[in-house]
Amino acid sequence: MLRYAFDEALASLWRRRQSGLLATGTIAIALFVLGAFLIVTANLERLGDEWGRAAELSVYLSDDVTPDQRHAVEVALDQDGSVAGREFLSKADALRRFKQTFADLAAAVDTVGGNPLPASLEVRLRPRAAAGPGIEGLSARLRQMGGVADVRYDRQWLARMLSGIRLIRGAGLALGAMLTIAAALTIANVVRLALVARRDELEIMQLVGAPSAYIRGPFVMEGVIQGGMGAALAILALGAAFATLQARYLGALADAVNVSTVQFLSVEVCVGLVVGGMAVGCLGGLAAGSRS
Amino acid sequence: MIESYHLSKLYKRGVYALRDLSLTVDKGEFMFLTGPSGAGKSTFLRLLLREELPSEGDLKVLGRDLKTLRPSQVQTFRRSVGFVFQDFRLIPRFTVFENVSFVMRVLGVPVTTQQRKTFQVLKWVGLQHRIHAFPEELSGGEQQRIAIARALVNDPQLVLADEPTGNLDPDLSLEIMNLFREINARGTTVIVATHDRELIRRVGRRSITLEQGRLVEVA
Repeated sequence: MLRYAFDEALASLWRRRQSGLLATGTIAIALFVLGAFLIVTANLERLGDEWGRAAELSVYLSDDVTPDQRHAVEVALDQDGSVAGREFLSKADALRRFKQTFADLAAAVDTVGGNPLPASLEVRLRPRAAAGPGIEGLSARLRQMGGVADVRYDRQWLARMLSGIRLIRGAGLALGAMLTIAAALTIANVVRLALVARRDELEIMQLVGAPSAYIRGPFVMEGVIQGGMGAALAILALGAAFATLQARYLGALADAVNVSTVQFLSVEVCVGLVVGGMAVGCLGGLAAGSRS
Repeated sequence: MIESYHLSKLYKRGVYALRDLSLTVDKGEFMFLTGPSGAGKSTFLRLLLREELPSEGDLKVLGRDLKTLRPSQVQTFRRSVGFVFQDFRLIPRFTVFENVSFVMRVLGVPVTTQQRKTFQVLKWVGLQHRIHAFPEELSGGEQQRIAIARALVNDPQLVLADEPTGNLDPDLSLEIMNLFREINARGTTVIVATHDRELIRRVGRRSITLEQGRLVEVA
């Protein structure tokens, strides 16, 4: 039965290749847009993760902090689940690092007299905790502790970036869904045209008592093939566009935003797109075939 | 084989295509259905093939009550019935061989059986030498013989033909009728709808006449 449906679907697609190309092209465009948004959001999420992992909480200590106060702060940090690690930076270390980082300003610091930079505890946060609300609470608790001059944490921009990513992903999914519905309707109409063109055959099939699967199977298969081909075409086009952009811009962009590499869609997502395309085609074929 | 009791078919416009038709067709019988255009001949054939459902009355064909058949049972039922159209209804993109074997193909019959039976039935209608031809290359009589071969290839118990000679000249019409007689001689029940009374006279079998959906004469 499957062989019959497949052979008939291929023959039908070949006979009406122009309208078939239209349906395949429509689904390719829909899945290209969806895939492009998935690439962008997946890479932005990775970027957010990497930045979140690199995000640090700086606990500046007063110059007159006692060893007990510092120990209490360290214990508070070690007991918090958001903290991945910590490093003590003495006043001398802080000055040395400042002079290394801002060599031009090294002389200016010397003119101030003494060491104006505070000692601090540089805290590395766990990736998922970096943008979470728990950090706010930890920061507030630390500020209340003796020997703590200030707590600095750049959470706001990270949270903004993550909500921006969610917005982009939502817009991509909405656009992709709309285009996918349009693609399914196009496939349904193209399959319907095939059905009308073959109505004599279908009538004879019905009169001789052919099973419904034999009557509708080729149309469903036609939709599946168009959907699968459209998805494969979308992935090829995405791959080509990605390779071109990567060669010209994406490497430099990855360096600029301090992310290891910009990546293409995973194999699982590519397979998901093809299966999704076939499913959309199948729905289109079923919708058209159900009226046979 | 066929039993109809007070059978009526009423269309939405309020017009009766068939009204209060009661008749019996025995197994192995050859019967003509005649009458002017619009008399209800084609409607009766469509009811016999379960293309449509009766509005009133009962209809039993091959021991099945056609009013109560489920869709899957309709498919099984139709495999026991062969149908021949006035306009042949051959598929232009198929060769003669494919047009006939197509029926078995969609019923999932093994390829070797398809080939053997198709060749047998084409030989029987005398067109085994045209198996690679396309319908447009055939005369009207040849096309109708292919259509008859298609109706027979599945060994039906009942063959229905709706004006099978409507597009043919008198000599070819008689030739096609002789084929139906041969089919009937093998034990298959045959019902032929035609308005050609001369043809009925020449073949000489039972005929029932319909007018405005009613049975008016049995001869």
